[in-house]
Amino acid sequence: MSTSDQGDRLSTTLFGRTRRAVLALLYGHADEAFYLRQIARVSGTGLGTVQRELALLTAAGIIRRDARGRQVYYRANAECPVFAELKSIVTKTVGAGDTLRAALRPLAGRIRVAIVYGSQAAGRARTGSDVDVLVVGRVTFAQVVSALAGAQAILGREVNATVYPPTEFRAKVAQGHGFLKRVLQGPVMFLIGGENDLARLGSKWVVG
Amino acid sequence: MTLRDWVQNGWLAEQQTTPDEISNLLRIAQRDLSDSQTPGLSADWRLNIAYNAALQAATAALAAQGYRAGREAHHLRVIHSLEHTIGASGSLITRLDYFRKKRNASGYELSGATSDQEAKEMLALARKLRDEVRTWLIAKHPELCGGDLA
Repeated sequence: MSTSDQGDRLSTTLFGRTRRAVLALLYGHADEAFYLRQIARVSGTGLGTVQRELALLTAAGIIRRDARGRQVYYRANAECPVFAELKSIVTKTVGAGDTLRAALRPLAGRIRVAIVYGSQAAGRARTGSDVDVLVVGRVTFAQVVSALAGAQAILGREVNATVYPPTEFRAKVAQGHGFLKRVLQGPVMFLIGGENDLARLGSKWVVG
Repeated sequence: MTLRDWVQNGWLAEQQTTPDEISNLLRIAQRDLSDSQTPGLSADWRLNIAYNAALQAATAALAAQGYRAGREAHHLRVIHSLEHTIGASGSLITRLDYFRKKRNASGYELSGATSDQEAKEMLALARKLRDEVRTWLIAKHPELCGGDLA
């Protein structure tokens, strides 16, 4: 599926290495503040490079710089006009999307559709929120969970998976199965496949 | 680490068992293997029942070695003790642990988040584990196999 190959290229093409790392941290954990050394450590870049990046992003109003006593903290700026959009881009790419896509890649040939649903897909995820993944394909639950184990460690969040074979998914959607209906009517983030693949499985993805 | 170390950590307590207790645990495992195939039950619930069958079988193996798990992280200990009781493979323990986590998660906000395939996968795993425990009991603890091993 082409979408999974494009996954990690999205963020690396949109942002340079340092900007990608800074946005991933600050917008991936938009309810937290970080100090310079923390940001440098997590992004694996030198202090000077990170400092320049932080200055640029602060000047543009994309992040906020707060001084408390002698400590200086940085956080995502919720008043930035494109805060919600940036947060969504980060979530769908560097935040979790890239990591989950990469984790599922070894199984991608046997997966028709993989989506994230729930708070993570809605952009309402808080630190510690679980990531809920729905997979439709010719794979077992154990294979999927085992593939996702590494992603769970990287994201620092529990990843819950539900795995449907295509025939069962089709049948349950046709029956109006409560869980699937709730998932597919809510916001979702595609990891593998897209709306057309869902349609081919007999389902409409109702809300964007 | 051995099970003796687990006792030191307070994860297990020593407790002598009887052929009756072993036979009773395996009867519950058998009951749950059957009940988890009851038509009309939700996949969530079938997975839960099959999981319980696996847990009872693992508990029987632990009891046969003279231990029971403490209250804290009870399921986790029982599952991981399989390495030290029947010498279960890492893959079997890992898979069982995935289902333990799934079961924890689906108890709350994710009701319905279990597919029929997953319930069947759990049932197959529970059946395999119960069979392994039974074979092991007959080989290693014939003194406890006086009762009905279901």
